[in-house]
Amino acid sequence: MAVDDSAGGEGLLRAPLVIEYPFNRTTGPVVGAFVTALRDRRVLGIRGADGRVVCPPVEYDPQTGAPLDEMVEVGTSGTITSWSWVSQVREGQPLQTPHALALIQLDGADTAMLHVVDAPGPESVSTGARVRIRWSDEPTGAITDIACFELDGGAS
Amino acid sequence: MAGNRVAVVGVGQTKYAAVRDDVSLPGLLREAVFRALDDAHMTMDDIDAVVVGKAPDFFEGMMMPESYLAEALGAVGKPLFRVHTAGSVGGSTALVAATHVQSGVHDRVLTIGWQQQSVSEAMWALSFPIPFQQQLVAGAGGYFAPFIREYIRRSNAPDHIGIQVALKDRLNALKNPYAHLHEPDITFESIEESFMLWEPIRYSETCPGSDGAIALVLASEDAAEAAAASSGVPPAWIHGTAMRSEPATASGRDQVNPDAGKECAADVYAQAGITDPRRQVDVVEMYVPFSWYEPMWLENLGFAPEGEGWKLTEDGVTQMTGDLPVNCSGGVLSTNPIGASGMIRFGEAALQVRGQAGDHQVDGARVAVGHAYGGAAQFYAMWVVGSEKP
Repeated sequence: MAVDDSAGGEGLLRAPLVIEYPFNRTTGPVVGAFVTALRDRRVLGIRGADGRVVCPPVEYDPQTGAPLDEMVEVGTSGTITSWSWVSQVREGQPLQTPHALALIQLDGADTAMLHVVDAPGPESVSTGARVRIRWSDEPTGAITDIACFELDGGAS
Repeated sequence: MAGNRVAVVGVGQTKYAAVRDDVSLPGLLREAVFRALDDAHMTMDDIDAVVVGKAPDFFEGMMMPESYLAEALGAVGKPLFRVHTAGSVGGSTALVAATHVQSGVHDRVLTIGWQQQSVSEAMWALSFPIPFQQQLVAGAGGYFAPFIREYIRRSNAPDHIGIQVALKDRLNALKNPYAHLHEPDITFESIEESFMLWEPIRYSETCPGSDGAIALVLASEDAAEAAAASSGVPPAWIHGTAMRSEPATASGRDQVNPDAGKECAADVYAQAGITDPRRQVDVVEMYVPFSWYEPMWLENLGFAPEGEGWKLTEDGVTQMTGDLPVNCSGGVLSTNPIGASGMIRFGEAALQVRGQAGDHQVDGARVAVGHAYGGAAQFYAMWVVGSEKP
């Protein structure tokens, strides 16, 4: 039996509506400085009102809302503070081989950022493990200029 | 006016420009917010609630930006309320903020209106493509042009009135450091010779697209007096607030002189004890995105009899040197971050009665009207502010 999905609108116009609408956004002096520095293979954080270095940097203090402006260069190596293993890779994920999604606290920073760790297997990854940035070949000024992190000293 | 007394004790504006690519969206708002807080001698900690308004989300491609912006606006742990009323939203937002104080619930409310027109083409953002529209999609100017032409037919206004309005507002803008367009070389002739976009509206009789934000701090009577004692700047007391709307497609609707605008004005004047607005109001900031809306709104808001608004413009009454200066700031014709534009009118009215308008101050201004409209000339918001308590 044919399925009748009409609610009685036969003969009335029904047409596709595809909304495509371009936007231009501005990054501002803090996020803009962060992504621009990545192009130069440097990582910037920002000093918060409590003296802690927030990385990636934020425009205003997370606790007080006060304006922040002291950009601080942090290291390109850091420590895993938490992680999860992606064993089954699907299209569009940051690496096309099994990898870790990890929170990484770069040396000199007091907060961790999410990125991907290229490691041979989950047994090689641990909280507290040391990692370093593997830069992309052609940095453009985006978080993906950090191609991934790799285990410092190779797979352990 | 119903409720407790409320006053404007802080006004902060960003520099308006075609593209504010030196700041992020939160950074843009914070530029206005901290100027308003500084003006009020307050910090974010002093604020009880935050009320924000902007044009539709699609203009900037960000859904519910108020949630994303809460921390940047110091709204953590406080009521944060968003208002939507198209082009009048800046005005409506200030009015909603005022009710937060009038109700007695809050003493110090921060309200913000903003827009980054550079992010997209606002002209087309709200238009469904063909075939979903019953009417032709012609942009805002194309929509309003036939109604302006009808105003000219009814009133027998001479063609140069629109040019006069544009020249006045653009020259006034030179006295306002925050204004977007600063065109020191503009002349009657240069406007007359500019491209005819939608007859009778020429390019130079049309508002620009601007990035920018405005913030106001509203305070209860005790809080306003404390702020004034601290800052040394008098409050702008709110004497009346009114909003009216009418359906865009209502049959019998007169879009040249809409009932909703007339009723909004009548309501706000009644609250403020104004029986002769032409005589009792010292300065007006009205929403004029296309030059001809000055004479049209002069009539709609009761400053001139129907058909005679253009005579005030022609006689120089609405110049800064006239007895009813209109848009001393340069108005929407010089600065148009849509979601902010209504609140800029309200804030500029407050600056005038506080004596804080700088080079575009009208000496001795005591009563000022702020006005905003939006949609298909269907949403209206107004307030009357004064240097004296209501």
